[in-house]
Amino acid sequence: MRLLRAVVILSYFVMATLPLAWLALTSVKTYDDTISAHAKFIPWAEAGARGDEQTAESVRFAPTLDAYRNLSKPVAGTPHDFYHYLGNSIIIGVLSTLAAVCLGTICAYGFSRFKIPGSKDWLFFILSTRFLPPLAVVVPVLVMYRWFGLENTHVGLVVLYTSFNLSLAVWLMKGFVDEIPRAFEEAALVDGYSRLRTFVRVIVPQAATGMAVTGVFCLISSWNEFGFAMTLNNYEARTVPVYFAGLQGNIEGVPWPQIAAGMMIFVAPIVLFTVLVRRHLLRGVTFGTIKQ
Amino acid sequence: MSRNEDRLRPGPAQSRLLGWGFVAPALILLLAMNLFPLVFNIYLSFTNADLSGGVVRNIGGHNYTVLFNEARYANALTLTALFVLLSVSIELILGFGLALALRDHVPGKPVILTILLIPMMLCPVVLSLFWNLILNGNYGVLNQLLAFFHLPQPQWLTDDDLKLVSILLVDVWMWTPFMMLISLAGLNAIPKYIYEAAEIDRASRWMVFRTITLPMCAPLLGLAVLLRATDALKQFDLVMAITGPNDASTQTLSARIYQVVFRDYKVGLGSAYGVVILVAVIAVATIFVRYIDSLNRRQGKVEA
Repeated sequence: MRLLRAVVILSYFVMATLPLAWLALTSVKTYDDTISAHAKFIPWAEAGARGDEQTAESVRFAPTLDAYRNLSKPVAGTPHDFYHYLGNSIIIGVLSTLAAVCLGTICAYGFSRFKIPGSKDWLFFILSTRFLPPLAVVVPVLVMYRWFGLENTHVGLVVLYTSFNLSLAVWLMKGFVDEIPRAFEEAALVDGYSRLRTFVRVIVPQAATGMAVTGVFCLISSWNEFGFAMTLNNYEARTVPVYFAGLQGNIEGVPWPQIAAGMMIFVAPIVLFTVLVRRHLLRGVTFGTIKQ
Repeated sequence: MSRNEDRLRPGPAQSRLLGWGFVAPALILLLAMNLFPLVFNIYLSFTNADLSGGVVRNIGGHNYTVLFNEARYANALTLTALFVLLSVSIELILGFGLALALRDHVPGKPVILTILLIPMMLCPVVLSLFWNLILNGNYGVLNQLLAFFHLPQPQWLTDDDLKLVSILLVDVWMWTPFMMLISLAGLNAIPKYIYEAAEIDRASRWMVFRTITLPMCAPLLGLAVLLRATDALKQFDLVMAITGPNDASTQTLSARIYQVVFRDYKVGLGSAYGVVILVAVIAVATIFVRYIDSLNRRQGKVEA
């Protein structure tokens, strides 16, 4: 049994991590090495040989950081370099996250501490918005955005992502706010604080960890979103996933090393965040339904 | 509520207003950005609207007549159902198996778990674009590995029978950890004394698994399945990244909407497709919401 368990864990671990390892290796290759019919696994050139002297059949290759350097040059057929799109992703991700966490915390506090008629129905309405398929509502959103001149803008995506993250933010924050003992705010209310001041001075500091965790999950979902970003932004506010998708049909061949290098930079913060919120992952992916 | 607390609170009418004040901003945004488009989408599905913005006329159920008679519709519906069924069941079996292997002490368990969970947090489109390089039939590393073990090397991305398999492969790679995470939570919640009692009764391994482990995990596994099913039902990202929206052998309902609206500019027909997905999603989501409600009540955690 022990042996079986070890085999299961080890083989899955290898299969799960190999693609990511391959991504890292690809980002330090030359274009020819990435599409070589003899896969290059080992990033050390043979002793004494320079990069161009490597034999085609070798599994070794000379690693280079050229792909990372080339990220600041636009790829043929695109108007901007990678960092332009990364900037779009950062602006849209950060603003929509801040908005969703603020609105979500305020809303969660209301549901947690006040008797609101039909609160359970409202909460489940909020949860159900999470399941709306982007492609089923993208047309009305597009028409609405044309009325307000929001298509192709950063603001348009920020508003959209904020509303789509609200369900997650409200449900996660309600879990966190429910855990804050009421004694704290009651003491503040006795001291003559108004409800609003109590919320800002007492609840927000107490809920700070929860807000940070919620923020990470909102940021990740905005960061990774593709359906809306693809259909609402043909040009101005294009995010990184849409940019990469557009490079697939590149006439000069798919620039794999640059794509891999860009992907490494794009996923690095998410890997870091995943490690930081690892204790809250279960809560995050189940809308706070399961608390660890 | 104690009398002391009552005195601290403003009058009921004022308190109710204050409560609405806290929840209103979020609710208004959700009604405007989620509920309104949904209703608007239903309206559009009865019109001849197109992307060029001509005069919009009501044409009754014409779009639905077209839709239900399209071969593409039946194809997309079947493929979406097949995708949901296969991806969710494969991920559940693998994830639960992995959780069983990882439930007891394993050296370095926290590190292993964190690393395994990384793929599900990353961007689906970005990862599947990279999988295109791995799966490439001519220079992809997967086929080179298969060649090394003298196994057949199929054309993953161009063979019509294998395109859906490729998309499933990437989906399973990304989302098996999700099933594992929830399964582990279920397994960890089973009290040790139940197993000790079973040991005293000399129950066989299979018996213990069938009568204790599985039934006690079932509620959480159900939650995981519903969450994944609603996600899989909207599958769009992987299809776009791996085969593109027009490929009949992998065209899910969402991909079909993309083709109808953004390639053929038929907004009305696209909206009718949207309504079809909505009906399916709302059905699964309703089950999900009811399920969470009953789960909460069973745990005695419901405060809403």
